[in-house]
Amino acid sequence: MKKSTIFFSLLSVLVTLSLLLTGACKGSGTTTGGTTPTGEQVITLNLGGEVNTIDPNRASWSNERSVMMQVFDGLLAFDSGLNLVPMVAKAIPTVANKGISADGLTYTITLKSNATWSDGTKVTAGDFAFSIKRLFDPKLAAEYASFYFDIVGGEAYYGSADKTAAEQTALKDAIGVRAINDTTLEIKLIDPLPTFTQLLALWPVYPVRQDMITAHGDAWAQPDASGAMPYYIGNGPFVLQQWVQQDHFTFVPNTKYWGDKPTLTKITFKELTDANVALAAYKNNELDQSGVPGGTEKATMADSALSPEIVRYAQLTTYGLQFNVTKPPFDNKALRQAFSCAVDRLAYIDLVRGGVGKPTTSWIPPGMPGYDATLGQAYTFNPTQAKAYLAEAGYANGVGLPVIKFQYANTGSNPTLAAFLQEQIKTNLGVDLTLEAMESKSFSALVNAKEFSWAFYGWGADYPDPDNWLPQIFGTGAGNNKTGYSNPNFDALAASGLKELDNTKRLKIWADAQALVIADAPMVFLFNRETFVLKKPWVKGQITTGMDGQIAGDMFLRDVYIQK
Amino acid sequence: MFRFIVRRILWLLLVLLVVMFITFILMHLVPGGPWDREKALAPKVVEALNKRYGLDQPLWQQFGNYVWGVIRGDLGTSYSWADRNVISILLQGLPKTMTLGILAFLLAQAIGIPLGVAAALKQNSGVDYFSVLFSTVFASIPGFVLGILLMIVFSVMLHWLPTSGWGSPQQLIMPVICLAALPAAQSARITRASTLEVMRQDYVRTARSKGLLENRVRIRHIFRNSLIPVVTIAGPELANLITGSFIIENLFAVPGVGRLFVQGIFARDYSLIMGGVLFYAFTIAILNLVVDIAYAAIDPRIRYD
Repeated sequence: MKKSTIFFSLLSVLVTLSLLLTGACKGSGTTTGGTTPTGEQVITLNLGGEVNTIDPNRASWSNERSVMMQVFDGLLAFDSGLNLVPMVAKAIPTVANKGISADGLTYTITLKSNATWSDGTKVTAGDFAFSIKRLFDPKLAAEYASFYFDIVGGEAYYGSADKTAAEQTALKDAIGVRAINDTTLEIKLIDPLPTFTQLLALWPVYPVRQDMITAHGDAWAQPDASGAMPYYIGNGPFVLQQWVQQDHFTFVPNTKYWGDKPTLTKITFKELTDANVALAAYKNNELDQSGVPGGTEKATMADSALSPEIVRYAQLTTYGLQFNVTKPPFDNKALRQAFSCAVDRLAYIDLVRGGVGKPTTSWIPPGMPGYDATLGQAYTFNPTQAKAYLAEAGYANGVGLPVIKFQYANTGSNPTLAAFLQEQIKTNLGVDLTLEAMESKSFSALVNAKEFSWAFYGWGADYPDPDNWLPQIFGTGAGNNKTGYSNPNFDALAASGLKELDNTKRLKIWADAQALVIADAPMVFLFNRETFVLKKPWVKGQITTGMDGQIAGDMFLRDVYIQK
Repeated sequence: MFRFIVRRILWLLLVLLVVMFITFILMHLVPGGPWDREKALAPKVVEALNKRYGLDQPLWQQFGNYVWGVIRGDLGTSYSWADRNVISILLQGLPKTMTLGILAFLLAQAIGIPLGVAAALKQNSGVDYFSVLFSTVFASIPGFVLGILLMIVFSVMLHWLPTSGWGSPQQLIMPVICLAALPAAQSARITRASTLEVMRQDYVRTARSKGLLENRVRIRHIFRNSLIPVVTIAGPELANLITGSFIIENLFAVPGVGRLFVQGIFARDYSLIMGGVLFYAFTIAILNLVVDIAYAAIDPRIRYD
């Protein structure tokens, strides 16, 4: 079994290398600087696989976002610097412009009067109110609904599956969202939530069409037999013309779009799942942009034909190696610190990640409020310091340590990471690491049940704010707190940070909270991921952000044009 | 013959029920459920999702509901696949997978059988050595390697064929070759071996000593009899091909049914797993029945009355 795995790994490496070595076709070579679109304005990108649902209220995965972002515009949006900007809303609600009440509980949002759906009808406050109430529909079981439980009555309606229809209707009517008139939306919160404006820029609260959903049910967001999407009406720059399941999506411009019209006349998202195939398709000019197979990044950078086509940028994503702090041996802080100092992050990025990614010793990634480059300096790679911490933990030279296990999902580069860690811990601490490879879902179940000891973990931004990065992961008993970390001081800071309306004070609170976490070392903070893709030279105007969906640059396809 | 078929179909129903039961037990025993993810869902959300898909009911009731659904022709709703009914997912992918599978099956037999016969008739000749080389190479090269190699040559270097996708005849060529490679190699080997064995049988010597024309001996006595083992493996081989290959469909981005079962397992999408297993078991059982009926036509010693 083992042998055959190695054999297949070798084979796949060989295949990938040969794919890289077969020269890429020469580009058009005529890059004439200007910003005028020339040639056919069509682009073909790779979504990387099938989506589950593209119903905004229900969706949760990044490839689903990639599709919906083309078709819908929310009240607010993020600009290329990930700052909030108004979209369908006239302005970002603030206390100063009376969009937010002084107590931070009532949001009154005025809509632009010219926003329309792709069939020409007006987008109204009622459409948004309908969407937000539908998000809490117990029958829908929307996965991101919990992000919006601060809206008055939302959680009660969401949990009302066992109640009678009349009781459910009453709960639905009690939700604190209403359209005062066609262009004024009012939302009431239970508690002040300064990042609520960020939530208004996310897909779960995109407007949806009540008439289509009432008439067609779940089928409103599904293709008919020919792949057409007759009921999937949006208010964004593109219209989803076709979804041939497991094959491709096709978008065309929304002729009734109320904002700046896009230049592209057609976008195709293919659904190639194999990275080698996507690269071959890119070289055969079937794709205008593609990732490269994991582990081939260095070979790509060294390839003179491909290296000018590389697009690289940081994602708002941090990976770490989390400890189960509730059980021995990692309930011992000094031992965690010893491990934190014993991992050479630069070597990891160089050897395992193909040189792509940025090492880190803290949690909140660069490019976001709350990032602090000075945090966690104590954990910079240092074997001497690591051994000192090991002795402080009571295990000088590793004597007396029980068997240390590292669990991981046996996918992607995880097996290489595991082998790397084993070597690092042996060399730098003199400790033997036992590796336990698992199937992905079994691994998730093990981690969620806190039955692991040390495991790989990653977090990507839902929105660029520390309050998406700290309380959910390090708060006592929080849903994504897998380490079991519990610190009353942190919890107290988080409770006040979530409600603090003064932004300067708020960011200070989160900075203090993050410092507490880093000092306690519940994880080995490892690296921030970078996107690494190839893009054809004729694709112009691309804007990438640290929060792109599955496709690099998918937040701003409306600005892309072709120059052939 | 008729009674034989009826009896076999009744057995088939029992087999399917047992297969459903075992699969149901196994998939619930495996650690991890459909909502276990790296980024955990809120407990309220998990509760709502379980309710939506009936996973909050006791297991025996879920199994009962499923069997009752199958009897009514409802294979349940997929939860990793936009709530589509598993039947509609299968029906949408099946024509594509079957097109590939049948073409690959025909190609495999069209290459394998003649090559095997020729190799046996001219044992230890150049043809024979070529046949051995052909079978060894294509039986040992994994589909994904062959697929990528074909792509490098015909798409990346020569730009003759599209790498992947579905819709044009050109897009069929590479996946069909990849799918046909192994069965063609197997067919060639088995045809060769069985032809060699039949050639040494007494009845062949008898036929020759009767003074029959060599061609008649070869076609009527040797070829026909040597096909029996070939037909035996052809059944499962065809079943295997028309139920699709995860690797090849994944590689060539074919929107068929071959990926469903594996995707279902990774996603713990219980309806998709059950549907995939049922479909596979049903196809194998039916094709085995067809093979048994075909024996009667080929092997003079077998009669079902």
